[in-house]
Amino acid sequence: MNLAVDSLIGLGLVALAWQAISGRSLFRGIVMFVVFGLTMALAWARMGAPDLALAEAAIGAGVTGALMLVALRRLVQLHPDQPAEPKRARSRLALPIALLAASLVAVIGLGAVSVDREPGRAGVAVMDNLAETGLSNPITGVLLVFRNLDTLLEVAVLLAAFLAALAVFRDQEQAPAPPRGDLPLVGALLAIIVPLTILVSVHLLLAGSHEPGGAFQAGAVLAAGGVLLILAGRLQPASGMPLATALPLVLGLLVFSVIGLAMMLTGAPLLALPGLWAVYLIEAAMMISIALTLVLLFAGASGLRRERP
Amino acid sequence: MISWLLPGLVVFLLLNLAAGLVRVARGPTPADRMSSALLFGSTTVAVLLILAEWMSEPAMRNVALLFVMLAAVISLAFFGMPRDIGAGDDEP
Amino acid sequence: MSMGDTSLVEWIATSLLVLGALFYLAGTVGLLRFPDVHCRLHALTKADNLGLLLVCAGLGLLACDWQVAALLGTIWLLGLLAATVSAHLIARHACRDHSATSSRTGSA
Repeated sequence: MNLAVDSLIGLGLVALAWQAISGRSLFRGIVMFVVFGLTMALAWARMGAPDLALAEAAIGAGVTGALMLVALRRLVQLHPDQPAEPKRARSRLALPIALLAASLVAVIGLGAVSVDREPGRAGVAVMDNLAETGLSNPITGVLLVFRNLDTLLEVAVLLAAFLAALAVFRDQEQAPAPPRGDLPLVGALLAIIVPLTILVSVHLLLAGSHEPGGAFQAGAVLAAGGVLLILAGRLQPASGMPLATALPLVLGLLVFSVIGLAMMLTGAPLLALPGLWAVYLIEAAMMISIALTLVLLFAGASGLRRERP
Repeated sequence: MISWLLPGLVVFLLLNLAAGLVRVARGPTPADRMSSALLFGSTTVAVLLILAEWMSEPAMRNVALLFVMLAAVISLAFFGMPRDIGAGDDEP
Repeated sequence: MSMGDTSLVEWIATSLLVLGALFYLAGTVGLLRFPDVHCRLHALTKADNLGLLLVCAGLGLLACDWQVAALLGTIWLLGLLAATVSAHLIARHACRDHSATSSRTGSA
């Protein structure tokens, strides 16, 4: 039965990936991609990686699917004369690239099968020293304590990506706003779901110390609430970046670096954290930065303004 | 408890999904494709809940909660689409 | 897997789960067989939500834990909300779609 479940999920993933990129229309490809995200979350769940399943659910259902639909809308509205459908002619490079990718997958797969099942030394060391950190979720332990330089740089990369995108936002054409009309159900939806995203993201943040969750998942859920507000027209893209936007954007990087550097004054090594409170503080700051970065990337703007219905 | 009940249900629901994929592929209208995505969402939630019980992994219920909470985001994005989106992809 | 040690609660949970799966099957059959998008939406959202309720009820009985039962109940209620709003939005979009096609063919 286990084999049946896993092979159905595996075959489904390959079929969906193929359908998502080879479809006759962009819209159909997007729907296939959304379904691919759902199936991918099932695959992570079967592989016993609930942290990744949570991230896949929050990012896939909350941000990327809507982002692609909005991008397709913009494409169609700005260039109504050009068909938004992909060209049918296949590049001459397609076959060699496909063969290379397939052999890469085969090599990695063979490597994964032939490796012995004994856990590496790093994993054992993490589990041995986890109790000292006060955390009981080893993943948060690795992200925030044992390998926190990597996490710091990941937050920096996210900020750098946003700054690069900012350069593109400057000279884009504005697409006309989507039709609103009277949608009685949408107000009720926002009134329930948006507060719930805040509640769930705080829960995921706090739960991250002892069960699956953490700043990245919490930030993505919070961002999904913002995406919902943008889609409903309650938040509108705005130009200019006030301090009230810029400060939360860099808050994660700032809090992380300040605490990590301040500890050097006491003679501790770089980024040694003073205690569990520092982990929570850094995670909360990272959650806010990650959520705001994702929402601004979705809006395609450097700022946001509220719009009363 | 019959030991193969929960995995059996998962296989049954996954086969259900595979059948629903036909509607995504065939369309014909964008609304048809989108409603099949709705089917995928609700079935995936049920599969995750059963997996949580079967694999004794309570965090899977949180994954299901996220999916069900955020399911309307994509529908709202779809509502903003112009009407002739995906036109011309439903020729036989 | 002897049947002797299966308690009454487990039998009830099993029947709820199997019934729930059958409602999911009904939803899929509706999605594939019904003639237009409004009928398909109708079949899908109604049958799937009943299926989700039965699956949640069965799993709640199996877990035998109030916290889990409360979470399952919340998930079902949110599922109802999502299905209602999504079906409404998709049906509205489909209406716009149809009126557009008929007016276009009318003028052409």
